[in-house]
Amino acid sequence: MTTGNIVEFALKAFIVVMFGMNLAVILTWVDRRQGSMMQDRVGPNRAVAWLPRPLAQALMLVPAALAAGGIIFYFLKIPALPVERTNRAMFFSQLAIFALWATGVAIAGRVQRRGIDNSLDRFVSSLGDPRRIFYAGLAAHLGTALVAALLKGTPEGRQLREIGYGAGPAVLAAAVLAGAVYAAYSIRKQERVGLRLAGLLHPAADGLKTIWKEDFIPPNADRFLHGIAPIVSFFPVLVVLAVVPFGDTLCFAVKAGHTDYSQLLRAVPPGGVCVEGAVKLQVVDLNVGILYFFALAGTGIVGAALAGWASDNKFSLLGGLRAASQMVSYEVTLGLTVIGALMIYGTVRLDEMVRWQAENAWGIFVQPLAFFLFFTAAVAESKRIPFDLPEGESEIVAGYYTEYSGMKFAMFFFSEYVAVVTASALMVTLFLGGWHLPFVYRDGIHVAFGGTSYLDVPLTQLSAVLIGVLAFIGKVIALCWVQLSIRWTLPRFRYDQLMKLGWRMLLPASLVNVLATGLVMLAIASAGAVVHQSLATAAELTMVVVAGTGLALLVWFVAFVLRPVHKRRLIVSTSAKYAEAQGGTHTARMGA
Amino acid sequence: MNAPLGPRKVVGTPVFRAGRTVTVQSYLPEIARGLGITMGHFFKNTKEMVLGQRPDPVLESIEDGVNTISYPEQRRPYPERFRGVHRLTHRADGSPRCVACLCCSTACPAQCMYIVPAEYPAGDARRGYERYPERFVIDELRCIFCGFCVEACPVDAIRMDTGIHAAPYDSRDQFLFDKDLLLGFPGRDGQHDHINPRTEPGDPGFPGVTRDKHGH
Repeated sequence: MTTGNIVEFALKAFIVVMFGMNLAVILTWVDRRQGSMMQDRVGPNRAVAWLPRPLAQALMLVPAALAAGGIIFYFLKIPALPVERTNRAMFFSQLAIFALWATGVAIAGRVQRRGIDNSLDRFVSSLGDPRRIFYAGLAAHLGTALVAALLKGTPEGRQLREIGYGAGPAVLAAAVLAGAVYAAYSIRKQERVGLRLAGLLHPAADGLKTIWKEDFIPPNADRFLHGIAPIVSFFPVLVVLAVVPFGDTLCFAVKAGHTDYSQLLRAVPPGGVCVEGAVKLQVVDLNVGILYFFALAGTGIVGAALAGWASDNKFSLLGGLRAASQMVSYEVTLGLTVIGALMIYGTVRLDEMVRWQAENAWGIFVQPLAFFLFFTAAVAESKRIPFDLPEGESEIVAGYYTEYSGMKFAMFFFSEYVAVVTASALMVTLFLGGWHLPFVYRDGIHVAFGGTSYLDVPLTQLSAVLIGVLAFIGKVIALCWVQLSIRWTLPRFRYDQLMKLGWRMLLPASLVNVLATGLVMLAIASAGAVVHQSLATAAELTMVVVAGTGLALLVWFVAFVLRPVHKRRLIVSTSAKYAEAQGGTHTARMGA
Repeated sequence: MNAPLGPRKVVGTPVFRAGRTVTVQSYLPEIARGLGITMGHFFKNTKEMVLGQRPDPVLESIEDGVNTISYPEQRRPYPERFRGVHRLTHRADGSPRCVACLCCSTACPAQCMYIVPAEYPAGDARRGYERYPERFVIDELRCIFCGFCVEACPVDAIRMDTGIHAAPYDSRDQFLFDKDLLLGFPGRDGQHDHINPRTEPGDPGFPGVTRDKHGH
């Protein structure tokens, strides 16, 4: 093991732990804040750090100036090779279009919030509905791509390419800088600016708070076990992330038999997985893969059971027992549902599972029932509503952590959210294609059916892998969010219902799934070439479905966010009269 | 006694109860419906929060969506007739209007007012005609904010239109508002005076008002 290996390992472990813990911290807050939001309340949003105006303006201007300078520097000092000229022109033109419409939409949003302040605001608000800016941007994106495709190889095309090559970076830098200048200008009248980071200061404040809180240990408790239980329940849920691949393999150059970390290969042959100089974006590539997850997830029970026993409290004990029995019950389903997927993928290595899904179809299409069962069991494993019987505050106070306070309580609480993240990461890897996005390959984005190419955008290795990592993170966040909204929606099960669901419904269903998978696999193995051909077409179709649905959802979401809200004002009371005189209740500040 | 035998006639309308249909029993469709409602509220409210378009709790109270306010950073304005902390109104020269007649402290059901009346100094036109409060103390902790003192006052000297609600303090003596403090509060319009003018002795605009004490 060389120094490079150790540094590489430490770096990957750091990335994964930071990802898991930070996402869990954010989820802890999101669960409260957005959970109130869906109940038409506001929730915790107080945490704010006040910055003096010059500092805030500097924080806006300096990074933007650096970014703009970087773009210009890149354009002037690192000219594109002749073969790359078209790609770079296209890339920067698209990025510039994006920057333009995004800045416009942001300004339109600000105008909606704060009213017209200057002539640029007046111009933007004269455009009307902010969705128009978005649609115009979309049209520009598509139009550029279309024009480029139509004029490919013609002299006009070459001329346009040169314009795009020069104007793209210039417009991009200008848009970035102009946005920052606008933002800095718009706060010129404020004494101080509140840094809220969209409310993300709140979880940090909460975490700090728990450190200073009293750490209570009941007089007759087992002090050692009481202290170690939170660690025992926190540790396994976090280390599970070690086997989850968060990106495609990075290929470095090889020098004298050693990986040269300073030189990342620009491109990897399509489908080629490098043998030497490979850095897997996965902390450890264990040959037992998913079994490691089950082994560690099983030990998570111990923490809850220890906490219940060591607290010297009836409710804690009941909670610990409930946690133990519930987790054992659902562990069985959890294990059995994956069997079907393992049979299809033919491996227990998570990395290879993702590769199988990338080459064929995502797991959710080949194992839909298993996905559903796994999802249910994983939610039950994390002991959250609607399966939060071990805590069940209306029945047993707070269950196994009744006697915990301060940071120890926070660790239990936190491990619950880390469990959400790890469960999501695992589900993404097993069923949602891990870091894979449809039509994104190691050398670029290619959309081709039956020999006809519809879209062909080459990418360097680094950007292809980065897209994969971002896709993984996005999928994990989406799945975490689904788990949260389940918590916001469903009431708690009764204890017998919980057991009945686990043993009488999920377990038989998972057994049926294994049987059905085996039968279908046998049938396919003995079927002719026609069946195989149609299956391959169906797999391609699933990719189209995923890509189409994803894009449509994205467009719908942006359009939804930009749709203006019309409110009716009703001034009937003197209270409303005062509120109107003050410019609305929300802006009324304390001033007794 | 002689109730007819047989089935009794049912009176009333049957209550609709959801049957145990397959969709209900299999949970999933209903869970999906519930998730849909949750997410609808979530998206709508989050969006309005982010864009600052959430309904105003007073002006748009009939709209749905998040309309809570972050008290105490943000406050709902009190209605016009809200009875807040008392104030003593001023005359044109800045002295209290109060004539120390003790009507308010007599009317006070909570007995929270303490007034020491005094005569104006010799030579003052008002001496012998009216008195002034040497001390005027209201225990705001004991006050029940009934407004009887305002009703009782014959010269419109005490009002509860400051718009300030009873504030929490650390100790009881901080709730004893004395004359200077009460005179210091403006009304909600920012004025220490108010629309009813107070005529002083010798005002040529009111010849009928004589201040001659010998007439009494």
